[in-house]
Amino acid sequence: MQPSRNLFRTLCVICVLLLSLSVIAQDSSTARAKKILRDIDDLWRGESSYGRFSMHVKTLHYTRSLQMEGWSKGTEQTLMRILRPLKEKGTATLKSGKIIYTYLPRTDRTIRLTSGMMMGSWMGSHFTNDDLVKESRMEEDYIPRIAFEGLRDGRQVILFELKPKPDAAVVWGKLELLVIKKDYLPVYEKYFDEDMKLARTMTFNQVKILAGKPRPSVMRLTPADKPDEYTEFVYESLELNIKLKDNLFSLANLKRY
Amino acid sequence: MNLLSFALRNVSRNRHRSMVTTGAMGFAGMIMILYASLMEGLFVSMERNALAMNLGEIQIHAKGYRDDPDLYTRIANPDKLVKLLQQQGFSATPRLFGFALAAAGSSSAGVQLRGIDIEHEPQVTQIHNHVARGAWLDGKDGKGVVLGRKLARTLAVEVGDELVIVGQAADGAMANALYTVKGVLKSVGEEIDRAGFFMLESSFRDLMGLPKGAHEIVILRTDRKQALALASMQVGTMFPDYEVKNWRALQPLIAEILGMADLNIYIMLVITYIAVAMVVLNAMLMSVFERIREFGVMKAIGFGPAQLFGLVYAETLVQAVVALLMAFTLGVPLSFYFEQHGIDLTNFVSGVSFAGIAFDPIWRAEVTPRAVVSPLITLFMMAAIAVLYPAIKAAVIRPVKAIHYR
Repeated sequence: MQPSRNLFRTLCVICVLLLSLSVIAQDSSTARAKKILRDIDDLWRGESSYGRFSMHVKTLHYTRSLQMEGWSKGTEQTLMRILRPLKEKGTATLKSGKIIYTYLPRTDRTIRLTSGMMMGSWMGSHFTNDDLVKESRMEEDYIPRIAFEGLRDGRQVILFELKPKPDAAVVWGKLELLVIKKDYLPVYEKYFDEDMKLARTMTFNQVKILAGKPRPSVMRLTPADKPDEYTEFVYESLELNIKLKDNLFSLANLKRY
Repeated sequence: MNLLSFALRNVSRNRHRSMVTTGAMGFAGMIMILYASLMEGLFVSMERNALAMNLGEIQIHAKGYRDDPDLYTRIANPDKLVKLLQQQGFSATPRLFGFALAAAGSSSAGVQLRGIDIEHEPQVTQIHNHVARGAWLDGKDGKGVVLGRKLARTLAVEVGDELVIVGQAADGAMANALYTVKGVLKSVGEEIDRAGFFMLESSFRDLMGLPKGAHEIVILRTDRKQALALASMQVGTMFPDYEVKNWRALQPLIAEILGMADLNIYIMLVITYIAVAMVVLNAMLMSVFERIREFGVMKAIGFGPAQLFGLVYAETLVQAVVALLMAFTLGVPLSFYFEQHGIDLTNFVSGVSFAGIAFDPIWRAEVTPRAVVSPLITLFMMAAIAVLYPAIKAAVIRPVKAIHYR
């Protein structure tokens, strides 16, 4: 009687130990995934940022190139302003929380975008205004899972599969993110809709030194249903974790140029 | 045969009953003529509002535009098409459409921009006559725009106020421009009331960066006698590269509702006249029972069943003819009165639309031959059916029994 009870207790202890070990193991793998995602999110954003970039849009009906500058603070506050061409110079977008304002220098008006315009294109690109609002940090809105880790196309890579958290305000069914293992720089990010059909692909290219570190400087978004079209961002300069004035993200500042 | 003089004498013998019967029939006939005219008026005005405000009779679009109203899906050379159509005896006007955001003060609303050819549009639609406040577009005033009724209310703007339009131009740039409200429309139809933003074609092209093409060509037959289906086939063969549809195909719901007008009128006619038929039946039955002895004597002295049947019938028909004359002489002027003056429903139905078609708050009758003749014919037929039973009753009477009837 006695030894068998002891045995039972020992078994229990071992089981608990094993279980907690696996939890810790899973925890550490999740923690690692989260860390990588956080680093990727911070590549262009950090706590705060200032950058100059150009945007090139190609659609069936038009191509357009804009030079812009932008500031951000966290994910909640963003200000972007067109520098060139002259015709559109000064056109600016302010995101403050869930609200987007657009300043139009030609009519000297600031418009708060209504919900009806959220699915409209942002500055003629393949991004919608809604994308701007829903812009978030991957680690906050998604549950990461490492789907593949190893050699692919001659590189050691990690493939993340990100499923949205149940309460996250995201429109995607899942994301796939391919990261180079050596430096944790992203290669592509694939967006799948709720039916798990590929909706669009963002590719990252041309690694160069930006804000003191190698970062991809070209980001190109291709909609899956229109493979000939794209919107491309080319970073020219980037400063991260800088001090920004509090009134930078204000309506008054929106129209200053 | 002096059946008719017999009948006339019989009718005038019981003057009160005859008057009540004839009066009931005549009154019902008069009301039904008025009702039919009012219904005709309602549907004519609905059809007019639907067609003359926006729809036109035939429309041309680039293929695929109606499924996906895209700024780029255009008719390449609308001017040439309009010219060709005019040579064929049609009136035609090109239109441009786009979607944008209108903002005034702190209000904003999504609008449907409508680039209007100020010269040709009035040849096809009557919308320029439908301005509630202010004025219609003016070719010299590129900044002046005309708004739908509800849109003006949503934006809280009045004539003379400024508003800004933001949208995406054809080259991807942010289209934006300031305009002044020149006019606000009366209620025209749900779509235009809520989102209609009328501007000059040239202003539209400037704003949206669209130098050529049009999204829609709206056509009106000048020869109204030409069948609509035939006309749209003719236009279709003229432009096989485009989608040509007449309004019945474009708005089958409206076409169906308007088609129901006839049915509606006939149902009301039948219901009303069944009641009238009861009155006729009752009156004639009474007059037959009252005169059973008389009929018995008539049979005894040689009247056949057919003759008695004919007599009762003739009595009814004499009264029916009088009733018809009465209905006609009272109902037609009454209907004409309401055609002239209309019923003012402004206090009850201001701004009501039905299946997307605005309802004119002044409800006018429309005296058409059909609205007058069909109540009269139905009335006559109902009387003829109702008297069948009393007439048979009189015809099959047996003389001996009838003479002793009390």
